[in-house]
Amino acid sequence: MKKGVKLTAAALLMASGALAQTPADSLSVLDNADFTFTESQLDEDNDAAQTVSTITGAKSDPYNSEVGYLFSAMRFKVRAYDNMYNSYYLNGLQLNDLELGRFGYSMVGGMNDATRNQEGLSAYDFNRVGVMGVGGGTSVNARASQFAQGNKLTLSGCNRNYVARGMYTHATGILPSGWAFAGQVGYRWANEGVIEGTFYNSFSYFLAAEKRFDEHHALSLVTFGSPTERAQQGASTEEAYWLANSHYYNPNWGYQNGEKRNARVVNDFEPTAILTWDWKINDAKKLTTAAGFKYSMYSSTALSWSGDAYDPRPDYYKNLPSAIFDVYDPEKNNPDYLAQNPYLLDQYNDLVDFWTSSKANRQLNWDRMYFVNRQSEANGGEALYYQERRHNDQMVFALNSAFNQEINRNSKLTLGLSLNATKGMHYKTMADLLGAHSFTDIDKFAANDYGIGSIEAQNDLRHPNRQIGQDDKFGYNYNIFVNKARAYGLYELNQGPFSYRLSAYAEGTTMEREGLMQNGRAPENSYGKSGQAKFLGGGGRFGLTYRPSGAHILSLNFGCQSDAPLARNSFVAPRMQNNFVDNLTNEQVFSAEAAYQFRFGDLTGKLAGYYSRFNNGVEQTAFYNDQEERFTYLTMSGVDREHFGVEAALKYQLTSNFSVSFTGTVSEAQYVNNPLAQVAYEGMNAATLQSLNRWTNPLTGEVMPLRVIADGMRVSGTPLTALSLGLNYNVNGWFFEANLNYYDRVYVDFSEYRRLSNVLPAYSSEGMDLKGNLLFPSVNADDLAKGAILYDNQRTIPVAFDVNGNVTETKDNPHYGQVAATYAAEQEKFKGGFMLDLSVGRYIRLKGGKSLSINLQVQNATNNRNLRTGGYEQNRDDFYNTGVAKAYRFSKNSKYYYANAINAFLNVGFKF
Amino acid sequence: MKLKQIFPLLALALSSVLGLSACMDDYDEPNTDDFLITSSENIGEVNYSIAQLKQDKASLFGQTNAFELVNTDLIIEGVVVANDCGGNLYQTLLLRHIDDSKPEGDPLRDQALVLAVKHTWLTPYFPVGQRVKVNLKGLYVGCYSKLPKIGQPYYTSSGNLRLGPILLQLCSTNVELVGKPDPDCPECKPVELSPEWLRTTAYRNYLYYPQLVTVRGTLQEADGEAIFAPESLQDAGYGVDRTLVNSVNNTKVTIRTSTQNDISFTVMPQGEHAFTGLLSYYSNWQVQLRSVDDIQ
Repeated sequence: MKKGVKLTAAALLMASGALAQTPADSLSVLDNADFTFTESQLDEDNDAAQTVSTITGAKSDPYNSEVGYLFSAMRFKVRAYDNMYNSYYLNGLQLNDLELGRFGYSMVGGMNDATRNQEGLSAYDFNRVGVMGVGGGTSVNARASQFAQGNKLTLSGCNRNYVARGMYTHATGILPSGWAFAGQVGYRWANEGVIEGTFYNSFSYFLAAEKRFDEHHALSLVTFGSPTERAQQGASTEEAYWLANSHYYNPNWGYQNGEKRNARVVNDFEPTAILTWDWKINDAKKLTTAAGFKYSMYSSTALSWSGDAYDPRPDYYKNLPSAIFDVYDPEKNNPDYLAQNPYLLDQYNDLVDFWTSSKANRQLNWDRMYFVNRQSEANGGEALYYQERRHNDQMVFALNSAFNQEINRNSKLTLGLSLNATKGMHYKTMADLLGAHSFTDIDKFAANDYGIGSIEAQNDLRHPNRQIGQDDKFGYNYNIFVNKARAYGLYELNQGPFSYRLSAYAEGTTMEREGLMQNGRAPENSYGKSGQAKFLGGGGRFGLTYRPSGAHILSLNFGCQSDAPLARNSFVAPRMQNNFVDNLTNEQVFSAEAAYQFRFGDLTGKLAGYYSRFNNGVEQTAFYNDQEERFTYLTMSGVDREHFGVEAALKYQLTSNFSVSFTGTVSEAQYVNNPLAQVAYEGMNAATLQSLNRWTNPLTGEVMPLRVIADGMRVSGTPLTALSLGLNYNVNGWFFEANLNYYDRVYVDFSEYRRLSNVLPAYSSEGMDLKGNLLFPSVNADDLAKGAILYDNQRTIPVAFDVNGNVTETKDNPHYGQVAATYAAEQEKFKGGFMLDLSVGRYIRLKGGKSLSINLQVQNATNNRNLRTGGYEQNRDDFYNTGVAKAYRFSKNSKYYYANAINAFLNVGFKF
Repeated sequence: MKLKQIFPLLALALSSVLGLSACMDDYDEPNTDDFLITSSENIGEVNYSIAQLKQDKASLFGQTNAFELVNTDLIIEGVVVANDCGGNLYQTLLLRHIDDSKPEGDPLRDQALVLAVKHTWLTPYFPVGQRVKVNLKGLYVGCYSKLPKIGQPYYTSSGNLRLGPILLQLCSTNVELVGKPDPDCPECKPVELSPEWLRTTAYRNYLYYPQLVTVRGTLQEADGEAIFAPESLQDAGYGVDRTLVNSVNNTKVTIRTSTQNDISFTVMPQGEHAFTGLLSYYSNWQVQLRSVDDIQ
């Protein structure tokens, strides 16, 4: 036992020592969370390699156990729920991030063997760890004693984000002393991933020790982390893809000294330790208490520029041929017009030639940035281009204690308490001055608006005009404190063919911002603490299952809950100031589902239907607003959404070793109201911001709050229709699997900015909205209250209308008799398509208990390169302030991600 | 516990430490001594001049908003005497050429015109004092309003067809740098305009502008607090006009400043001062300063 204690201590010391030796800016969090304050909220950075939202390993559920794997190539989200509605537990402790709500799968990246022992949990099922999110959850048991004794070596090769992976696992099993130890190390690597200009460099470790003191008490300690450095892919427009002749064009990289360099590099490391005490009080009662500590370091680099420096992005719209003339306007894109304006076609062709003549021309030009900086300094200036590193670090202490009791053979109970205290640390540092040596910490947007010598230009009035060197903090620096306490209970009762499940929770949440800089745009409310916002929440779920026989299970589930908003959405402009957003309230969720699970001879399956309603949600996007040339926060409050659909998983066993399966869903997930909007531009002071958040209805003259005309918009980035036909055959240790998948109804992430009630008119299209109806088919007080903008369908100046939407002015008015309405700008629906995935494997049992498994998976075997997995609209207007249309049509140039081309994954596992 | 059992665990722990040190995002700084966005090859010998161009296209430059394509290899040279170093001139390089073979007083001896390039922050590539050659073939010459210019046509935000900037990419085929920048060259010395000159109607034509000039006078709106170009006063062209009055004969010159740059936020100096910048003529003489250093 002494040896065991020493060994555990040594392992922990080494892990913590490793942490101490790591530069603060080089490691971090949140690989799979597709949000950080600086990443996917900056839509440009929405990393295609992210987003996983499935209930993994739900073994008892034929649908949920399949879809995560089946549809992963299309970033499928179960029921189109955000990952924040799923819960992730490890050794009894929930690991969801309190600021973002999500669990970042990078936290356990490369630890496949260590986290293999997991259980998928439905939102309505009884479990022993806590009340899951409405999207369900995953509970991993990674106690050292759960690992099979022995060694396992796994080697993998693929052409995906990384090209090679190696993992080694060793476990002692339970030793006679009562100790058990297990550990895993892994490494994933790509000098260049399947997307050009990306790389991947990820190490992972998992160390576990467990001591069983007696049959009542056991202590388990695990510590793990996955320091990862990876370069990102960026989305681009269809035009850029066409010019690069590839849907996998990546604008994030360019040559420096002839070497490929990516501007967007994520460093991610979340060292975590969890101590779990299992107390078996008696055969019927058990108390599991887990306490954990995490210090995560996440950073992401990005190019930035100041002064009048030209936007360095290669696919910046002014660099594109379609910026020369409106290629989408048939009146211009025709031989006659172009013959009359030959210079337009000449310039267009010049740019096409430029883009296509050399790969370097369509990538970042690092040498140019260095040149400009050096010239600037030579002339007494400072860095104009630089690479900044945006940090989102976090320190978390969490505790969960769950008491389980088997009351009798038919009923069981879980009662628990969980606590979480999270401190999020958000700041940026200077990653690279790109050949320059000096930089002053001022806000370039404020400098433009108020002058470089103004108070507003200062990012930190306590250190005005601070000179910034490599690794110095600048721009913004603040902490977010979130505390949550939850009490919960789950109960299951079985009575004959019926079983009933009840679960409920009550929780309190506080959140607070602490500014560490006194921002010049908000000198009174940026430095120091914001004061706490407090929220009380809770909810309950009820489930009923009827099992008339072993072959048929009918279940009905209902739930309603009220949860605090996320800290990520709760501050008007968190980089700048302490104010909470207006209308900050709990989000209410009502959910219901009905499912039928059956067996008819060789046919087994599950059919389910569900409906979920989310009310009063708060969503914030933060992005660089090209229109206003400012970093912008846009917060929607009072967001209502509906998710509903049907799900099916059927399997027909043709022979003992050959089966056919069908798995699929047809669903809907959409916004069902026009939420209130609040806009904040970085670089503007409070007085200017106040004026931005009002608009005047052009018909009534009434001053109204801003709204986002979102009614009818779909949840983006996931196929709402996903169907799969599979064949499964195994013989003599071989297994073969083929799945033909069909995906459809993937929608672009709509720009809230372009649908602001004071911006939308520029995008109103003649014709129907996406529901096939006029958004405001009549003009009445209700519509006005919703933010209706009353324009005629010629998009000219508003005129007077009656309650039926008819112009009430005289017949002399050219718009007499026209119907008044606003139209929601259409949300692009991507084309559907098929993808064929194949898999072949062999399991070989060797002598002495050893075994070898080999698996080859080929995804997208038919090499369909035209399936879009997601994308986003650009936040910019098609029109000048004069009302004249720009040559470049932003509304026609969304940015897209495509599913990977044909790719393979070869995995060899050797147990010994 | 036996060594055999300890060893794999120690190896795991040790590799946990070693595994944290690698970094792939590390690059050598590039040498940019020879960096160019212009042609790295000789684009040809100079066979033409700004003065010749203005003479040959007199009818074109005498118009407003007119332009035409150059179809032959006409290679001119000039020195960059004004650029966007202060953020006030947008996509604009003023090229000036002094022909020593012509006598003093001959208006064709000292000529300038604007080369407009579609790019912000041209200064690093075209510093003041840099001599350049420009092959006009494939480019357009003419006037933006009345301002002589080399450019390419485009549609403005008001929907009007105008002579705008050339694509930056064309610099690599049509423009060549000659030698190193010499800010002390004769072309960089501004022309001092006297009150009498400004009053002379005969000079109000394309042979006398654009030009790098210095004018003197008192800013009418200067009160010790007002800045050159507050956004509240900006016109449709995102600029603000201030009036410089000469005390000798009360001639007036417009000092035009765009918003959102260092000059725009500078408090207008009271009393008589010298202002250097790009001279043009619309309904009146107009000067656009290059930077705050142009206020003396």
